[in-house]
Amino acid sequence: MTMLVEVHDLTLSYRSGSSLARVLHGVTFHIDRGEVLGLVGESGCGKSTVGLALLGYCFNSAVIERGRVLFHGQDLLTLGRAGLDRLRGDRIGFVPQNPTTALNPSMRVGLQICEALILHGRNRHMADAGRRAAELFDLVGLPRPGEILKRYPHELSGGQQQRVCIALAIACDPDLIVLDEPTTGLDVTTQEQIIALLVDLRARLGTSMLYVTHDLGLLAQIADRIGVMYAGNLVEVAPSRTLFAGPRHPYTQGLIGSLPRIDDPEGTALRPLRGLLLRQELPPGCPFSPRCDHAVAGCAQHRQGLEPVATGHEVACQRWRELGKQPPGRSAAGKRAKRPAGAAPLLCIDGLSIAYGVGRGLLGRFFPRRQLVVVNDLSLEIGRGETFALVGESGSGKSTVARAISGLLPPISGTISLDGATLALSVKARSSDQRRAIQYIFQNPDASLNPRAKVGTILGRPLRMFGGSARGKTGEAIAAALADVRLEGTYQHRYPDELSGGERQRVAIARALIAGPVLLLCDEILSALDVSVQANIIELLRKLRSERDVAMLFISHDLSVVRTLADRVGVLFGGVLLESGPVEEIFRPPYHPYTLSLLEAVPHIETERRRKGPGPAVAGESTAGARCVYAGRCRWQLGEKCVKEPPPWQRSGKGLAIRCHIPIDELKRIAAPAAVTVITGVVP
Amino acid sequence: MLITRLIAVRLVMALLTLLLVSLLIFSVLEILPGDVATRILGRDATPETIAMLRERMHLGDAALVRYGRWLVGAVQGDFGTSLVSGRSVSDILGQRVVNTVYLSIYAFLVYLPLATLPALLQAVRRDGPIDHALSVLTLVLLSVPDFLLGTLLLLTFVLAVPILPAMSTVDQTSGWLEYLRAMTLPALTLAIVMAVYAVRMLRDNLIEVLDADYIRMAELRGVPARRVVWRHALPNALVPTLNVTALNLAYLVGGVVVVEKVFSYPGFGSLLVDSLQLRDFPVIEAAVLIAATVYIAANFLADVGAIMFNPRLRSS
Amino acid sequence: MALLDGVANKKGFWSWIARTPLSLRIGALILIVHVVLAATGPFWIPYGFSQMGTGLPLSPASLSHPFGVDQLGRDVFSRVMYGGHIVLLMSLSGTALGLIAGSLVGLWSGYVGGIIDNLVQRFLEVLISIPFLVMALLAMVAAGPELSGDPLLVVFVVAFVYAPRIARMARTAAVEIATRDFVTIARLRGETSWSVVRRELLPNATGVLLVEFALRAGYAPVLIGSLGFLGFGLRPPTPEWGLMISENRSLLLIAPATVLGPGLALASLVVGLNLFTEGLARILGRTVKLGGQQ
Repeated sequence: MTMLVEVHDLTLSYRSGSSLARVLHGVTFHIDRGEVLGLVGESGCGKSTVGLALLGYCFNSAVIERGRVLFHGQDLLTLGRAGLDRLRGDRIGFVPQNPTTALNPSMRVGLQICEALILHGRNRHMADAGRRAAELFDLVGLPRPGEILKRYPHELSGGQQQRVCIALAIACDPDLIVLDEPTTGLDVTTQEQIIALLVDLRARLGTSMLYVTHDLGLLAQIADRIGVMYAGNLVEVAPSRTLFAGPRHPYTQGLIGSLPRIDDPEGTALRPLRGLLLRQELPPGCPFSPRCDHAVAGCAQHRQGLEPVATGHEVACQRWRELGKQPPGRSAAGKRAKRPAGAAPLLCIDGLSIAYGVGRGLLGRFFPRRQLVVVNDLSLEIGRGETFALVGESGSGKSTVARAISGLLPPISGTISLDGATLALSVKARSSDQRRAIQYIFQNPDASLNPRAKVGTILGRPLRMFGGSARGKTGEAIAAALADVRLEGTYQHRYPDELSGGERQRVAIARALIAGPVLLLCDEILSALDVSVQANIIELLRKLRSERDVAMLFISHDLSVVRTLADRVGVLFGGVLLESGPVEEIFRPPYHPYTLSLLEAVPHIETERRRKGPGPAVAGESTAGARCVYAGRCRWQLGEKCVKEPPPWQRSGKGLAIRCHIPIDELKRIAAPAAVTVITGVVP
Repeated sequence: MLITRLIAVRLVMALLTLLLVSLLIFSVLEILPGDVATRILGRDATPETIAMLRERMHLGDAALVRYGRWLVGAVQGDFGTSLVSGRSVSDILGQRVVNTVYLSIYAFLVYLPLATLPALLQAVRRDGPIDHALSVLTLVLLSVPDFLLGTLLLLTFVLAVPILPAMSTVDQTSGWLEYLRAMTLPALTLAIVMAVYAVRMLRDNLIEVLDADYIRMAELRGVPARRVVWRHALPNALVPTLNVTALNLAYLVGGVVVVEKVFSYPGFGSLLVDSLQLRDFPVIEAAVLIAATVYIAANFLADVGAIMFNPRLRSS
Repeated sequence: MALLDGVANKKGFWSWIARTPLSLRIGALILIVHVVLAATGPFWIPYGFSQMGTGLPLSPASLSHPFGVDQLGRDVFSRVMYGGHIVLLMSLSGTALGLIAGSLVGLWSGYVGGIIDNLVQRFLEVLISIPFLVMALLAMVAAGPELSGDPLLVVFVVAFVYAPRIARMARTAAVEIATRDFVTIARLRGETSWSVVRRELLPNATGVLLVEFALRAGYAPVLIGSLGFLGFGLRPPTPEWGLMISENRSLLLIAPATVLGPGLALASLVVGLNLFTEGLARILGRTVKLGGQQ
């Protein structure tokens, strides 16, 4: 194989004021022709900077200290703008993280493609370019390409916008495509479709790719080799299968150990990385040594470059020989005790329907606005101390349910009762005790903590309002609450912006717990956090749950997390509950067709579930007005029946309930072969 | 469909605001507690003159009746008669408004290049010496009040280029050259004040657009630098530009009051100041209403422009 | 906000100063000079502010009369120095009054929302629709002839003109902050709307309001000067700078210093305030549209 790209000793800093902050430290790697290299690391590790450097692009404040980026043997870092303009978009394509801001909002998407085609001399006339653009749109799976050409970016969905960006990247048949977190901003199912598209394009066009992401699991599906970055250093490079089977660098081991696994046997504890990346306090030697369990005195002093471990496997660790292979083992966390059946449920929701755009107040009575029903006739129960996970893609109404339970968004019909007592629909009408009993934790701790209040003030307010302790003891109570979430008492004097993302989320959890709730509404509380931080919070939640008898409504789109945390699961689509049951039953056939598609979208590490052709065809939009909300997107739709008749609840006997026309046995049958499609021999 | 609806809604809102403004103007002057006639004539006025004025202004009628009468007249272009000269208010205003319109057009023509060129230069040469120098210059100019700026311009031109008159007096008999000479200094003053404000906003807007993700993406597709600026950046900077221009039109309405007074230009602004000094209520009401109308219209046009140029609203 | 932390401990004060934007430092320096001159001026000026016969009327600038002598034989330099505290006090108190009224109305209306907010917004829009200066002039005249020239009236008019504009700004900030999750949490806790405004909104709006205050304060001397220039502000012989420019304008060609002196004082004060505002905005990570015409 010949090398297409060679990055040699790339060292780069950003100027901030008068000082330089090192972002890349002697990064060296290569990409062969037709190869997909994955680059993984936590946010801020410099992986995107590497990606942009492959197009010869550096930010204004960047200073290249040394190094070369060779493309076809030509150094891109010394090539002038004119030379780069010839390569960019022509020989090297780029797919951005956020397609919404990456497309010019005032230009039709077709024109943006035609511009590239004509600039690079692929077509001379607009008409030819237009035809070629339509072909490209067809190639990336955009429906009705001719029509989409004339659209403005905002008229397309996020997934469609990303397809346009991919079409732009492949327009001139490049040798290399750089993908910078191309699916991060997208929904799980959309993400899966985009990955499938990329795998397919790669098989058809044979293009090399650099795939930059923070999601290691995702790389298992697409990358031939994987490079792991930490604080501007490339710490390990290996073929993907080797990397997952036998990671050599302690950081890689930690990353893999942090991943919650969907195929995991029940309740094994995660082994998260400890500590935080403190960019200001990096040692002169191994950057990971402050957080490394195996660090010895020499680690922080001497720098270690990549060293070959085996063919194609390199690692930058001084102790790799002594440490040997450490399969990412996990300690057993012990199974959770089963709850006694038949106890009265804590929270009981019956026939809940929620709509936006309900005219309220005087004006609303005279001019009722059009209602948009987002949750329809939902019923569920949560037992005392039980963790109920609500899963579904964005827009399925999961958060809306939590908002309705909290009283933020009064439903149009249905009842919510807590401990047998019916709750008022609006939070204003609830008693102080009822407000105390249900506490909400939001997705993004940056937004849910008042940035101008100290942690002590943030925690003190609920304490005072709900009369948790006498005035004099407030300080102690706050310290105790912080200790509960494993934070030091001194944190109460800090402002939120002095904390890391994970610490902030801990404070948000502490604020909820300090009120003494019986039910926590956890609304995607992990999705704004880095993988290793996520693992820490998951462990915390597990401990808290066993220490106190608090129930949780855990809303998430991440099935792996749900698997490790939930007792029972509900699957929501289009505001309708399609399946519910104990967690082990949900992850075992029979599946509802929608649950199955969700499960298929989850990246598997172990099974290396690589796809050859395009992924399962999604039949497009849901059929409007159909009695089954999933009709139109369902692969196994029974025809008219699904559109005309409301699907019945079918029960499996083990507590599982599926709302579908397809008989349970049939569902069992279709689920079995499709779920595990192991295609071996793709990795050379 | 959506656009026409949006514009219609904005239009209705603008008209409603205008109606409320008329009520505000009228009530501030004629309904507020305290005797109107005394407020006009002062405490030293004799009871006879006060009684005469009350009679003339129909102050005996209920406030709302007077407002209704005034509003109906105003809609038809009849603002009553001046308390001072006894002439019809519309007559007095007519020529003055025309003069001010000339002045504004002149000022805008000077303003456009004065605003756009430095901003473009600054944005393209960001953080360079030219950018810094222009930033300092605009900040200093921004801090010079318009009446002082006008006075300084007057001093400079009268001393250095004595072709321009110190007093910008014109009347119906003046030829267009006289008009042009008379208007040059006031127009230049207004143009500088507006341009300084616009340059600063435009520079920031242009830089914001140049920093946008899609501009970087265009560069990463190999679009040459020149085309990036002209084809990708500028069209997206257009809407904020429109906005600044509308804001400046709104400033102009207040700005002419001072600047016309500085140069004794017989426009609408100096008329307003004179009437305020003379407490000629009918003229004041009409003039303020006109000023507010221009302001509201300018904002309405800016809204419409933003709607028309926003691709998000254009085609859906 | 991290930049503001250094203020707290004395040790880091100078290093904090060194890290602030240059515009803030220059602006602050100019303002300090103005404040010192305004505070001490009345005690060391060579002549009284209305003392006549201090020199030959209409003399140009000289060592004994740096800004010349006006028509009535008064020393313009003494008048300008004496006028400093008047301009500063009136500008700041007028702006402060407008800020308090405007931000309270704006924050509350933005948080409460609904019909109340709609009505408040309409009302503010009406007030804003009359151009700045025209509104101020109208208010002066509406107050009647008895009150004209009263410094308190000028202060109130400045506040009255500013309040709706500041309220609109505060409302926008409140609407934005009110959508953040910590406000939702406070609502879920059952906090009263006053408590939410005070504890959650106000601390997060201080940046906006601080910049708004500095911006408006920067234009207040111009507004007061314009009123004085047009003959609607303070009465002669008060040494207000705009009024002095107006009085001495006819002497422009004979004794330019009598106009340039007060002009320099006014312009430098506004430059200082504007520089300070820009630096402040940069520290707080905001963009600000200087000029204050709107």
